[in-house]
Amino acid sequence: MTETTSDSANFKARYLLRGIMTRCEPFVKFDNVSKSYGNFTVLTDISLELGRGDVFGYIGPNGAGKTTTIKSLVGLITDFSGRLTINGMDMPDQKDRIHRLMGYLPQKVSFQEWRTVEHTLATMGRLSGVDVAEIESRIEHVLGVVGMSDSRHRKVKELSGGNVQKVGLAQAMLHSPQLLVLDEPLSGLDPASRYQVKEIIKELNKGETTVFFSSHILSDVQDVATKIGILGWGRILALGNLHELEEEFGTPRVLNIEFSEDNSDPDVIAAMEGVTDVTTTVPTGLRVRISDERDMDEVSDRIVRTLLNQGCRIRKFTPSTPSLDELYMRYVNRGGQA
Amino acid sequence: MSLKILFLDELRGFYRSKVMLVLWLGLPVLGAILFLWGPDTGDEIPFTVLSALLLSSIGGTLASVMLAVSIINEKEKRVYDLFLIRPIRRGDILISKFLAVYLCIAIAGMLALALGVSIDYYRMGGTPEAVSEHLLESVVLTLSMMAMASAAGVLIGVISPTVLVGAVIVIYGGNQISVLPVLPELLGYESNLALSVIISGVTTAVLMGLSVFIFNRKQF
Repeated sequence: MTETTSDSANFKARYLLRGIMTRCEPFVKFDNVSKSYGNFTVLTDISLELGRGDVFGYIGPNGAGKTTTIKSLVGLITDFSGRLTINGMDMPDQKDRIHRLMGYLPQKVSFQEWRTVEHTLATMGRLSGVDVAEIESRIEHVLGVVGMSDSRHRKVKELSGGNVQKVGLAQAMLHSPQLLVLDEPLSGLDPASRYQVKEIIKELNKGETTVFFSSHILSDVQDVATKIGILGWGRILALGNLHELEEEFGTPRVLNIEFSEDNSDPDVIAAMEGVTDVTTTVPTGLRVRISDERDMDEVSDRIVRTLLNQGCRIRKFTPSTPSLDELYMRYVNRGGQA
Repeated sequence: MSLKILFLDELRGFYRSKVMLVLWLGLPVLGAILFLWGPDTGDEIPFTVLSALLLSSIGGTLASVMLAVSIINEKEKRVYDLFLIRPIRRGDILISKFLAVYLCIAIAGMLALALGVSIDYYRMGGTPEAVSEHLLESVVLTLSMMAMASAAGVLIGVISPTVLVGAVIVIYGGNQISVLPVLPELLGYESNLALSVIISGVTTAVLMGLSVFIFNRKQF
């Protein structure tokens, strides 16, 4: 009797521990993943971890290996080296189980053209394990989310590229996946649709869906990603949230100054101590880089005094952190030189 | 389960396609035209046999071209990506296509043969002896050759990099395979229907097995 009670307690403890471990384990984990085509190495020792609910923006120049990383993640490429796990399960060994958790939008989404939107989604949903009884309501829901309810009975071949992309996103969300992998989801979309898709990603994130997406449009990544990875030449150049990337790089702060009356002499400002670079901006303004953010207050004060002495009238004086574009270029340039 | 979903889906796509329309309506009509206006065949070959010959050659070629082109096109356009990231067996994609096309052409074959039998019955005032003698053999051989041609189409679709290469291989190579069931007869042995069926069944299974094996190992 005592032994049975003890066994039961052990079982419960193990069960609880397993639950805690599962929650603590990274949801997606790349551990030294490499991939080569013959002698050409596309990915070298990619290691990164994502927790549940992370929105990971994956950026890098053309040919850096973003799509290869994504194809390895979704199991389209299986002959990589290293270890890749999703929710503790190994890809590709347990890919059938992993695929139940996953939705995927490829870079160039393509459907069999004779299908209608509804037929496409019904097939994809059924193959993902959505119950027949639920499929109708799920289709209605995802088409509503991507704003394509009116196109339900249209043939795929009649849709514009942007709308095909939206149907692609709809099929990826159809079975409420825990991990959504999107390869360039915003390319080819008009500004309104891009905004809409970004809102969808933010909304999914509230529901703890983990999103892994690649993009060339860095401002979009900046808008939605909670974690950013910069890839260059098959290697991860930087990893973290925007603030961490700034800190890692030691990037100087930037002052944006706009004049209502411009009598400034940029050379004088550029020669000031603590200033690394000055550029003029259109229509009348300056963009001043400060070498060390700790000197920001003191340098700002000196700049304002100097400009006023030069007879300038200042309309706006805004300190700003560098954009992701700037950080990206610095990381990529540094990676290229390495 | 995934095979059933994919099969019904492919069937829905193929049975309404233009190529299938040609197979279902065009071939029997073409057979009837050849039979009624052909210079020498009218009195010697029953229409049923002519239909069987037509279907096994033209129908088999069309089926294999259709399968090969469909698979190559879908590979090129990356249609399979969305199927392969779902919890299904990769081979089911190919098997469902094979079964859907094969079922369609088998129905087309039966339609053409039924038309042949009807015409022969009408012309000769009753089922002619030649028809009843050769009907079973015609049906079995037609279905066997079509199965092999379809399986060859699947394999060519899986291994060919472009539609052009695929079409050339199907036309110059794939169709030759349908001679296998009648090979013993061509080599001078006595006609043996059971042997022909075994040869075509094994060939079809080997071709499909090879296709699935290659498709499973393919990196997308």
